[in-house]
Amino acid sequence: MSWRRMLKCFTVSATLCVASAFTHPTTEFSKHKLRFPYQKMGLTPQQAAAHLLSRFTFGATPGQIDQVVSMGLEKWFQQQLDASLPDDEVNKRLSGYDALSLSNEDIANTYVNQGQIIKLLQKEYQLPKDSLVKDNKELIKSLMKKYGLKPPQELYRQLINQKIIRAAYGNNQLQEVLTNFWFNHFNVSLTKNQCAPYILTYERDAIRPNVLGSFETMLEATAKHPAMLEYLDNASSVSNDNAQSRKQQNKVMARRAEQKMEETMNDPKVSPIVKQALAARKTQGLNENYAREIMELHTLGVDGGYTQHDVTEVARALTGWGIVPLIKDTPGRNFFDAAKRENMEKNGFVFEGDFMFKANKHDENEKVILGQKFPANVGYAEGIRVLHMLADHPSTAKFICKKLAVHFVSDHPSDALVNQMAAVFLQSKGNIKAVLTAMVNSTEFWSKDALREKIKSPFELAISSVRATQADVQQPYQLFLWASKMGEKFYYYQAPTGFPDKASYWINTGSLLSRMNFGLAFATEKIPGIKLNLKALNDNHEPESVDAALVAYSNILLPQRNNEENIKRLTQLIHSDNVEEKINSAASKNKPADAADDDMMSESDKAHRKNENAALSRKNKAFNVSYAMGNNSMIGQVTGVIIGSPEFQRR
Amino acid sequence: MDRRVFMRNGALALLAAGFGGVPHFIARAAGNRKILMPYKKNKVLVCIFQRGAMDGLMAVSPYADQNLRIQRPTLYMSPSAKEGGMFDLDGHFGLHPGLAAFAPLYKEGRMAIVHGVGSPNNTRSHFDAQDFMESGTPFNKGTSSGWLNRAVGLLGHKGTPFRAVSLTSAMPRSFYGDNEALAISNLQDFAIQMRGNPMGANLAAKSFEELYDQTSSELLNKTGKESFDALKMLNANTIKNYQPANGVVYPASPLGNSLKQIATLIKMDIGLEVAFAESGGWDTHYNQGTANGILARNLKDFSDSIAAFWKDMDAYQDDVTVMTMTEFGRTVHQNGTGGTDHGRASCLFVLGNDVGGGKVYQNIKGLAKEDLEDGRDLPVTTDFRSVFSAVADHHLRINDDRKLFPEWDGSRLNLMKS
Repeated sequence: MSWRRMLKCFTVSATLCVASAFTHPTTEFSKHKLRFPYQKMGLTPQQAAAHLLSRFTFGATPGQIDQVVSMGLEKWFQQQLDASLPDDEVNKRLSGYDALSLSNEDIANTYVNQGQIIKLLQKEYQLPKDSLVKDNKELIKSLMKKYGLKPPQELYRQLINQKIIRAAYGNNQLQEVLTNFWFNHFNVSLTKNQCAPYILTYERDAIRPNVLGSFETMLEATAKHPAMLEYLDNASSVSNDNAQSRKQQNKVMARRAEQKMEETMNDPKVSPIVKQALAARKTQGLNENYAREIMELHTLGVDGGYTQHDVTEVARALTGWGIVPLIKDTPGRNFFDAAKRENMEKNGFVFEGDFMFKANKHDENEKVILGQKFPANVGYAEGIRVLHMLADHPSTAKFICKKLAVHFVSDHPSDALVNQMAAVFLQSKGNIKAVLTAMVNSTEFWSKDALREKIKSPFELAISSVRATQADVQQPYQLFLWASKMGEKFYYYQAPTGFPDKASYWINTGSLLSRMNFGLAFATEKIPGIKLNLKALNDNHEPESVDAALVAYSNILLPQRNNEENIKRLTQLIHSDNVEEKINSAASKNKPADAADDDMMSESDKAHRKNENAALSRKNKAFNVSYAMGNNSMIGQVTGVIIGSPEFQRR
Repeated sequence: MDRRVFMRNGALALLAAGFGGVPHFIARAAGNRKILMPYKKNKVLVCIFQRGAMDGLMAVSPYADQNLRIQRPTLYMSPSAKEGGMFDLDGHFGLHPGLAAFAPLYKEGRMAIVHGVGSPNNTRSHFDAQDFMESGTPFNKGTSSGWLNRAVGLLGHKGTPFRAVSLTSAMPRSFYGDNEALAISNLQDFAIQMRGNPMGANLAAKSFEELYDQTSSELLNKTGKESFDALKMLNANTIKNYQPANGVVYPASPLGNSLKQIATLIKMDIGLEVAFAESGGWDTHYNQGTANGILARNLKDFSDSIAAFWKDMDAYQDDVTVMTMTEFGRTVHQNGTGGTDHGRASCLFVLGNDVGGGKVYQNIKGLAKEDLEDGRDLPVTTDFRSVFSAVADHHLRINDDRKLFPEWDGSRLNLMKS
């Protein structure tokens, strides 16, 4: 029996209902028509469109609110749910990114790590094993060129840049917003070396195609992807409690190997490190990491009703879920290539892409999970049944829907809304479109309390700045550096929780000052490779004064917001009599402010300062204009203040 | 010239700078400015959170318990007089060689170790357990404040935004609450900057201050106010030019960097009372190693950073106590991948001149299976609150335990010098 047929047999009953939901999504979905109650909630179509765009895009582009109003809010949202708009701009900007379409195997054998490089050095030049990478930089360079190898940093750069480009220029904005959301939900991290090479394909293959599909499909795709299998150690969680291993252990060969091992362990010449590695291999077994996090973070939630016993049982059920050997010229790979897949499949192995179920590393015994009995000897299908049970669980429905509501509605959504969404989740078998529809059809989504209630994450701030100003991002990586500085080093969040999705996480002293500095640097074009044409946003009209610029650019960058108070406050500031004193009082103590300094001045310094002061008092009256027309463009500074302002942090 | 006049002149000069770069005398004077702040010298508590759950049984190993050898066939270690060997603390516990920098502090009686410490809530979720330890209420998720924020409130010294500073990119749960607290990963970021246009930057700073002052978002308003208050007090040049005492070189790691900045703030004497730093990478499910490997590297960075900080503190040591914490410990048995899974109790370190050091405070029964929690984990025999409250009481003179740790009526561990 092929693995496909076997898979069918084992899972047909478990997935029957889910399958029907897949094949007839429209019938299920048609029950949930889009009908937005914003008028009932006292919003004008413009206000409603601004709100809709603030939640389901990475920021409105100039004029987009009016476009959405004229096409109809529901129609726009339906288009976003369909996620099939052409993306020429993205494709154009990504045309030089050669890593984006590679397979895991290509990546693993192209973007090589230090270990692979050292091995290659030995092979090519017979260098000793302990030869250091840093002593052989030139050799390595030529070797890498010869074999077409590249450093992993280049892979990560492409991964990071593509996210920025898609978010900034993509037409299917909801898909990108959800890709960001679900990636964070099923977080993996570049901080873990074993998982890092596969993160690009993880987002591409396991996350993005599923973000508007079925939750269970996405859960299964993440569970089987090399990135997740490495990140939470499940690839190495194994058991010998199965017939195949027991059979092997009886074989003469195995007995001989055991004998050899014993000799090695008793050999005083063998280094303790080698012995330890051998001993570790012998004690191979269970690792609970993934089993716990799949319940705590991916499905049920920490209060979802599981115990430590369930964690251990789920870990046992998922033993043997691993990866085909991807790196060429390794003992594991050579052994694998020599073996016949058909024979392995006959023995219960399952292959799917780079996923491999190792029947001889699976715990075959009976398990009890969340009170349900899982009979012995089911093999691969047992894990599938666990995933199905978790995806379909009422705790999961609630946990996932709350997370969605927190992201899209407010930091504290009502229980009523969450329950309403959870009911749709269960009834539609985790159809994400149906759940989003229920959410956006609710009155709570459009309530005045929800408007501007969310604080943008640093990534959202950076991308919304690009979109609002129609900036040309030629060096996307610069925005990654800024987002990191502001507290969101995306793809590098170490813990499996992903970034906490709440305002109090993003806003603190350091990050707030960085946000302000970002606004200034961005708008005055001090970030390399980011080009702005701010005049064009104002119909190529250059405002004649700071006041006029404030009014014009507040309304361009923050449409449908009440900007009056802010404009008034800043206008007052600029025109106040003691403006310099006020300005100075706000400045950091990065400057001299002590009488003692006076003694340190040379006579020429003093004279210099005297001249400066005299010049200044002459110019003082013209202060506003001269500040504004100084080295930096006035529009840039005004725009920078708006981007760093509290109102622009909100969505 | 009085200060006000100078301030104004300085401002004018800065305005001028907008037209032609920073005048030479300003640049030169800036580096020499003395810091005079109106706050009296305070006691400082430095807390370090080891996120990910440190394996306390390897860091401070009860090597004399033979059960450990059986449960950890490849991870077991025992003392050795050899260079890089485990340091025998008391014939029962051994200090991991990665923690060698702690050995002299322990021998001098300045460092105490508490073992079998943890939370009475038996969750093995990192994120819940960290939350509980930081809020100080292990059975109440709804507590809005963190224990260190409450501590700052009980100290009651107003007037400086630098009472509680976390050298992290996000505000830690321990600092949540009504009292002012700052989180910043790099003190040098304390400035509004516009390259080549300091005057423009100052105007922008004042503009931001106005805007954040009037926003309806409470969080943005409050954080904005704290940021601008702090901004006005801090001399970023002092931070940049900071030279540690005694030729100390901090490890070039996130923790080393955080502690170096805490030392800077302490010496600037701007009212710091509670400082917070983090160290990551303790979730060693896979191949954690023994004398070498992931855990050994983490322990070395951890202890080297703390030892460097202590040496740098030198004349300030009487006023400083360092306390470490981690959300839980790890399984007594090693798992199938050369690591350890989530367990219950771990150990922590307290360093200071008023600490009753040179001792492992513990109540551990033993590692026989019947003595373990759920048959697998080192049970919690010392509530973390009995340690935290003892340090808060003795070092900071906060003795209202019911306010510091609501819902708790246990007693303090007697680990400080009376």
